Amino acid sequence: MRGVLAALVAASVLILMGGAAAAHANYVKSNPASDARLTKPPTEVRVTFSETPDARGSDVAVLDVNSNRVDKHDVTLVSDEPNTLRVSLGAIGDGGYLVSWTTVSAVDGHETKGAFAFAINAPLPAIKDIGPSAPPPSALEIAGRALSYAGMALLTGLAFFTMFIRVPADDAETRRERRLVIVGGAALVAGSALLVLNQGTNIPGRLLLLLALRAFAGVAALLSLAAPPRFLPADARREGIAFLGLAAGLTATLVSHAAASGDLGSVAVDYLHVTAVSIWLGGVVAFAYVAMPSARNADPRQLGATIWRFSLTALVAVAVIISTGTWAAFDRLVLIEDLVETPYGIALLAKIVLLGGLLALGALNLLVWGPRMRRGLTSSAQFWRGVIGETALFAGVLVAAAFLTSFAPPAQANGAAFDETKHSSGIRIELLTATTLPGRNRFVVRVQQGLAPISGAQKVALRFTMVEHDMGEQELVATERAPGEYVAEGSPTAMLGTWKVQVIVRLAGRPDNSALFTVPVSQPAGQEATTKIIAIPPYQLIVFSEPFQPQAGAPLTINVVVVDSKGDPVTGKKVHATFNGPSTAPPLDAIENTAELGPGRYRFTLPGLEAGSWKITIGVSDAGSGVYDLEVSR
Amino acid sequence: MTRFISLVVAALVVVSSLIIYGGTAAAHERRMVGPYQFVVGWLNEPAYVGLMNSLDLRVTDTRVTPAKAVEGLEKTVTADVQSGGLAPLSLTVTARFGTAGAYNGYVMPTATGTYIFHLKGKVEGLDIDEKFESGPGRFGDIEATTALQYPNKVPTANEIGARLGDLQSGIDQTRLLSGAAVVIGVIALGAAFAISRRRA
Repeated sequence: MRGVLAALVAASVLILMGGAAAAHANYVKSNPASDARLTKPPTEVRVTFSETPDARGSDVAVLDVNSNRVDKHDVTLVSDEPNTLRVSLGAIGDGGYLVSWTTVSAVDGHETKGAFAFAINAPLPAIKDIGPSAPPPSALEIAGRALSYAGMALLTGLAFFTMFIRVPADDAETRRERRLVIVGGAALVAGSALLVLNQGTNIPGRLLLLLALRAFAGVAALLSLAAPPRFLPADARREGIAFLGLAAGLTATLVSHAAASGDLGSVAVDYLHVTAVSIWLGGVVAFAYVAMPSARNADPRQLGATIWRFSLTALVAVAVIISTGTWAAFDRLVLIEDLVETPYGIALLAKIVLLGGLLALGALNLLVWGPRMRRGLTSSAQFWRGVIGETALFAGVLVAAAFLTSFAPPAQANGAAFDETKHSSGIRIELLTATTLPGRNRFVVRVQQGLAPISGAQKVALRFTMVEHDMGEQELVATERAPGEYVAEGSPTAMLGTWKVQVIVRLAGRPDNSALFTVPVSQPAGQEATTKIIAIPPYQLIVFSEPFQPQAGAPLTINVVVVDSKGDPVTGKKVHATFNGPSTAPPLDAIENTAELGPGRYRFTLPGLEAGSWKITIGVSDAGSGVYDLEVSR
Repeated sequence: MTRFISLVVAALVVVSSLIIYGGTAAAHERRMVGPYQFVVGWLNEPAYVGLMNSLDLRVTDTRVTPAKAVEGLEKTVTADVQSGGLAPLSLTVTARFGTAGAYNGYVMPTATGTYIFHLKGKVEGLDIDEKFESGPGRFGDIEATTALQYPNKVPTANEIGARLGDLQSGIDQTRLLSGAAVVIGVIALGAAFAISRRRA
């Protein structure tokens, strides 16, 4: 019977894990791309997220510069592109447009929002401040989570305590045990109900199912008390309650940040953490409420032996909590400073401090009061005071855990090919790049001080130098596109290799803040070749167009980097191109501008090409020539 | 013959001057402001932290060929220098002795990184208000001297200041802990005294 139950639980975990990807559905890419400058209006907007959003609570709104919605309100999940929402557009004219999106996580129902812009033959519009991307949790959510965790801990911890530490010795103790089951079961039901209420009608189906299962576990625990002992003996009831507590814990893990990662290992670690916390904290309460009143007048030596058994269990639980908690912290924190600078980190720190307090009290019981009582050297009063203190801290830990699981962890999937955060004199500087391919790239710098984004920086500049070869130093200046988010586009990282990117943030009244990032630029096999490498012995040409996907009639630049067999840039060559395609285009000589572009960089500037497939023959004065294929869309 | 030799010598002087000063000017920013060409950078480049340096400003009028050095700007142009986003420091602009159209404004940079020269005033009646910022393709940032020090590494004034700050912070923490220890000790003594009296 137990084997069947275990198999059912394992199968449920796998099924429920299937849809999980990330606890917050964050922007990954879109079509039109963020800050795209188009020459023709698109017929739809597609936005891809880091996980499948729940379509019921999610929205993609396309607004013109007067904030009028210009889409057809027909937001749907795209079947042929994973994690993607689309919305149709009517006939829209030239101008700037803002795409404002809101998603609801199918994993835990958390809301995420954001915005990006595109423009058709017009300047890009400003992106308004839409507040934090993940709104803070409501009081209802915190209460629901804290109650749920209390229920899980009480049922699991109580069952373990009465099964393995101390079996209730008399009727009074059994009555108190039953009361605690009632409190635990009721807390599970009430907590689940509050969480459903908090989500409202937009609750994702998977979340509703798991909360219903959690509430059912609470109801089943309550019903087990009503079963006559001849049908459900006390031992079997305790085993059943332990199972229900563990099942409720599993529902918490399956809507957690761990489940969001989609990694079965993370889920296992999270579940171990939840179980260990439940056994320890629930055990403390069971000790204080069930065993304490009877044991108060009992032989201290007997009590000392009980303390010893519970302390051993607690010790194992604490070891599991510390190891699994540390693992999770490394997985979800980006910097150690996150502990004091992000809501998630602050909640985690609070939980660590409270657990530290619990640990200290537990150690006092194990090492001081327990041995003394076993030897009959002291009364149990000090020990009871310790247990009451532990129970108070237990409540604090649950509230901290409720906040912790409500906030978005700092390490979030965002679709960036490179994402690294550094700390510089109290400023948090995050660099994200759209790709790590050579050629044109979009560089996003997020600047934060403490928890707040820094708007209005006097200057945010990125300076690029290559490690392997002297490609000179180039600079891009970023412009603020959203509060604390500065964006620059360009092609300084034109060569395959390792690039050092120094980000300089200038704030009024302060010395420059600077952070140095190491960005590897490569073109992995199988990845879409946006940059072509053409061999013209003794040179190699690295060729890419700007934009990557040129449109018919739109201005176009073709960049060529000429390097020798050692990879060093080659200057002073005459580089020319002839065009063969749907129409005629005159041959061109490239312009070499070492001061602006860097050494070995040559550039062809074209007013536009007709739609279709083009073969561009690029030649170098003292060497041969090679062909660069370019597709120009309509 | 004498005239020919003089011409050759003059040509040699001009060519050698170009060779000598060419390298320096390459690490300067050149900008046209109206008909005037401004060449701005550090007088000593590469420019290092903690070493006396100066604004190197050269202004020429390009309306005539060859371009004519513009003199007297020390009376009509003000300059300040700014490190990052900090408040700027006013420089005293002086004409460089022996080089027409060249000006200095001495400063000792005490931090590495980007610096901005802000020039304001009049050039032969033309209002100017220009900012020149160090960086790639312009002129050099202020660099650290660490890599050049041999055999011993000498800390900069800033580093010494930071270390003194750390030391002071450590002393403050020790004071705080000592105070707390004294308070706890007094409380413990009081408690011990109270318990002993109660037992007695």
